Amino acid sequence: MNLDGRKYVILVFIILVGIVYLARLFFMQVVDDTWKLRAAEIAEKRKEITPPRGIVFDRNGKKIVTNRSYYNLMMREDDIVDLDTAAFAELLGWTPQEVKNRFWNIRKKEGKYRNPHTGKLQENYQSQRAYPFIEELTIDEITRIAPNLAKFPGFYEDLTSMRFYPYAGGANIFGYLSEVNQEEIEEDGFYRRGDHIGRAGIERYYEKELRGRKGIKYIVTSASMNAIESYANGKYDTTARQSPPLKMGVDIDLQVYGEKLMVNKRGCIVAIEPSTGEILALVSAPSFDPNLLVGKQNISKNYPVFVMDEGKPLYPRPLAAEYPPGSIFKLVQSLIGLQEGVITESSGFPCNKSMVGCHNHPSAGNLPDGIKHSCNPYFYYVTRRIIQQGKKRSMFADAEVGLNLWADYMHSFGLGEKFDSDITGLRPGLIPNAAYYDEWYGHHAWAFSTIRSISIGQGEVKVTPLQMANIAAIIANKGWYYTPHFVRSIGNSGPLPQFRKKHYTMVESKHFAPVIEGMRRAVYAPGGTAHRASFSEDVIVCGKTGTAQNPAGEDHSIFIAFAPMDNPKIAIAVFIENAGFGGVWAAPTASLMMEKYLKRKITDKEKETRILTANLLNVKPKPKKKK
Amino acid sequence: MRRDDSLTQHVDWWLFTVVIIMLGMGIANVYSAAYDPDHPSIFDFSQKYGKQIMWVGFSLFLGLLVFLIDADIYRKFAIPIYLFTFCLLIVVLFMPAVNGAHAWLGFGSLGIQPAEFAKIGTAIALSTYVSNVNIKQQNMQTVFLALGIVLVPMVMILLQPDAGTFVVFTSFFFVLYREGITFDPIVLRIVNTIPGVKFKETWVGSHFIPILFFTIFLSLITLLMSGNQYEFSFMPGVLIPGFYGILLTLAVIALLAYLMLRWISAKREKGRVLAIVLIGFLLSASISTAVNFSFKNLAKHQRDRIELFLGLKQDPDGEDYNRNRAMAAVGSGGLFGKGYQQASVASVESNHVPESETDFIFCPLAEEWGFMGSIAIVFLFMFMLIRIVIIAERQRSTFNRVYAYSVAMIVFYHFAVNIGMNIGFAPVIGIPLPFFSYGGSSLMSFSIMLFILLKLDSQRRDVLH
Repeated sequence: MNLDGRKYVILVFIILVGIVYLARLFFMQVVDDTWKLRAAEIAEKRKEITPPRGIVFDRNGKKIVTNRSYYNLMMREDDIVDLDTAAFAELLGWTPQEVKNRFWNIRKKEGKYRNPHTGKLQENYQSQRAYPFIEELTIDEITRIAPNLAKFPGFYEDLTSMRFYPYAGGANIFGYLSEVNQEEIEEDGFYRRGDHIGRAGIERYYEKELRGRKGIKYIVTSASMNAIESYANGKYDTTARQSPPLKMGVDIDLQVYGEKLMVNKRGCIVAIEPSTGEILALVSAPSFDPNLLVGKQNISKNYPVFVMDEGKPLYPRPLAAEYPPGSIFKLVQSLIGLQEGVITESSGFPCNKSMVGCHNHPSAGNLPDGIKHSCNPYFYYVTRRIIQQGKKRSMFADAEVGLNLWADYMHSFGLGEKFDSDITGLRPGLIPNAAYYDEWYGHHAWAFSTIRSISIGQGEVKVTPLQMANIAAIIANKGWYYTPHFVRSIGNSGPLPQFRKKHYTMVESKHFAPVIEGMRRAVYAPGGTAHRASFSEDVIVCGKTGTAQNPAGEDHSIFIAFAPMDNPKIAIAVFIENAGFGGVWAAPTASLMMEKYLKRKITDKEKETRILTANLLNVKPKPKKKK
Repeated sequence: MRRDDSLTQHVDWWLFTVVIIMLGMGIANVYSAAYDPDHPSIFDFSQKYGKQIMWVGFSLFLGLLVFLIDADIYRKFAIPIYLFTFCLLIVVLFMPAVNGAHAWLGFGSLGIQPAEFAKIGTAIALSTYVSNVNIKQQNMQTVFLALGIVLVPMVMILLQPDAGTFVVFTSFFFVLYREGITFDPIVLRIVNTIPGVKFKETWVGSHFIPILFFTIFLSLITLLMSGNQYEFSFMPGVLIPGFYGILLTLAVIALLAYLMLRWISAKREKGRVLAIVLIGFLLSASISTAVNFSFKNLAKHQRDRIELFLGLKQDPDGEDYNRNRAMAAVGSGGLFGKGYQQASVASVESNHVPESETDFIFCPLAEEWGFMGSIAIVFLFMFMLIRIVIIAERQRSTFNRVYAYSVAMIVFYHFAVNIGMNIGFAPVIGIPLPFFSYGGSSLMSFSIMLFILLKLDSQRRDVLH
């Protein structure tokens, strides 16, 4: 028996194992990525650091939206040792049962998932993970609780930041935040459970800017989920970056003043800087302190109250409420008539009340006087000339062509369409065209006489208060406007491109003078409808009252204006529901707003008091009368 | 008989150097694997790295003692040494259990594991026994006695229980195989009971051990790999079933073996080499195919049981926790590793890999040094093992040769099983990686084992028989 050869058997064994192991190691370490992924899954965790939300400044550099620190009381079950439920409940001011329920609720809220390997339903809740036990504690509350937490291992405080609105105004501008839902988490990889997202207003529109950039810290974690150290000495980490501040065109003092004026009223005030399209104030009444919708506790407490409130404080009236514009519409009709050449500055029409009603005033012999008196028959004739230009032999075909032309003009004033703006919840209003009436009456089955109520801003026409204010801005600019918008700059980048584009109306600027003169006379001339709108010797206000008929009750009081006449700094629309004739309530409110903005102080205290104390919420409906 | 005056003359410096390199790397590795930032000094004796340095120093001191003692003593006192280690194995059973095993003979924290030293005692006893056997006249009794020397301590170790060391003791079967003490007498006795059959020897009986172990090795790999599919990054979309991967690997190994053997063998043997390699390949392929085929056709519950045993069932957070974490650590090392003390999975703080400084010491090493580190370790062990086989083959005395082979096979087992369980090729049985794993017993026993070998080798010319 030759045993010498057997040494080769042994050597072959040793070498074979060596080769196989090297091949396997090469495969595992170099070729195959399975184990690298597995290792990352086991040991490397991404920790996201959410920066505080972006700050918002008003046009005067005042901080109007900031963040305030809050504390969460965190709980990690694995660290809890012999919890004395009774003592802990006493510390929190809860009952022991509430403490027990809270533990159970945290577990329940996490839900369950189906383990893909075992097919069993398993809880998402993990005892080694930290969960907020109580959220949104104020500094006062946590200073009472925190010193005693040493007695309760497993509980600790954690700093978070939440929105704070120092001026307690502008709720309908800013909107509010709430926790993201599952759908949003799936749609946008940015969000994690518990993150907040803007739900309305600029918080929603500028969500992507305001949320900033999350920092990502790669950390190595231990088997018990503790962070150990940064991965690769932080080579792949990114720092959290807060969004650059938003600079708004809003004047927060004006906004807060407007909200004060509108207490106990329903309606809205919109003020725009005509030269830029920046919104100076956007008051929606009734309003509320935006701080009431900060944080989970506040939202769950106040949101249902607001939803149930008769006054609908969450409804953004200035953008979404579509009202018939009433007499202010006459300004636009005049401009279209002048541009179309169907009237001139010196056109006169008799106030004969045969087709539309009117109040008692002498017949207007020219356009400015027609505006001053807000003469309904006057504008009946103006609009009839626009719509029935006699271009077609058939009256119906002629009205069809005329109305469509008229509608085109209206659209060029930003009416009947939504602005491409940073305002969420905009409504388009309604400017009827031929197709619209064809639906109602049938093709060629209607003429101007059928639809004559549009001539005085009644009937089917619907305009939002924001659009009304924009009409004032267009007239102030003599024919053009920038899209009304909130934010003048993100950081220092200036307005968004769509806010730098001048929109020209179809009316040339030369036609604006008689209309502006009419608006001046409405305020200053004897017999003018809006004499309550003036506030100062040296500032000439141009205004136009409106009274929108309201079949459900008292008429709505409307007023639009701009001032000063020569160098307009503010264009404004005031809309007060059920307040009757526009000159009585809306005009003085607008004058206070303009004075506040232009002069920063109010001279006519009596006027101010009258508006501040007025309660127009429960005005009894007047018996219906024909106008 | 000529005595050498110098202790260091005829020492195999190759083997000595490899041992020293391994001890050095071992300390560096334990320093990383057990690092405690509160005790940054490597010489902090309250820490595992400090203790490891102490153990290495003590082991080298023992090595020096071994060198001072004449190597004849082992042959002379073989039976007392064997009995002494055996007694320790009995005593240890009455010691309090640590982690469920009566494995520690404690002097406080400085406990030793008698099983580690039983390997040396058994190696010496077996060497003495085999050197006194006339291989030409071996019979059933020879075989049983040799087996007994190995099996008795094995039973004692199983009583502890210590599955790892138990498995390691089967390495002595390879030593017996090399020495020609095979299972042939037993096989012959069985075969020859068949009327009309009268074999003098059987091929299966003679090569029983390597055939058995090769079959087990190949079957395990087949079972572990055949269920998977592999996709290579340079061939995206192409899924290679694991079974074909095994056949491919076998073919590559056969080709490499053929080229290597062709290169070293004489011209006239080339045909024979080709035949051997070809037969070897076909045999391996058919074993693999048979295992794969029969496994696929097993009843489901049987298959489940085997899969559970092999850790194939995906249960990464349960039964398979350790190996899953270990493989993640090794696999995440990449080509160049994450850098010294940069392990994220196998680091002591993260504690994802339990026992990362003892049984899973290969994890931090492979994670921190990557495939380059793995190559270094595998090559070091290959070099050491081949060197020991070369040393074994140059011995004039049977005692020395048997002892050397015992050392070679014990180290080989530790290497194969320990690294195997880090790469998913072996079930998790706790045995240390020689010279790398933290722990006094294994360090001392391997050092003594190696230094006895070096001493025997240095005195090989003294021996006449």
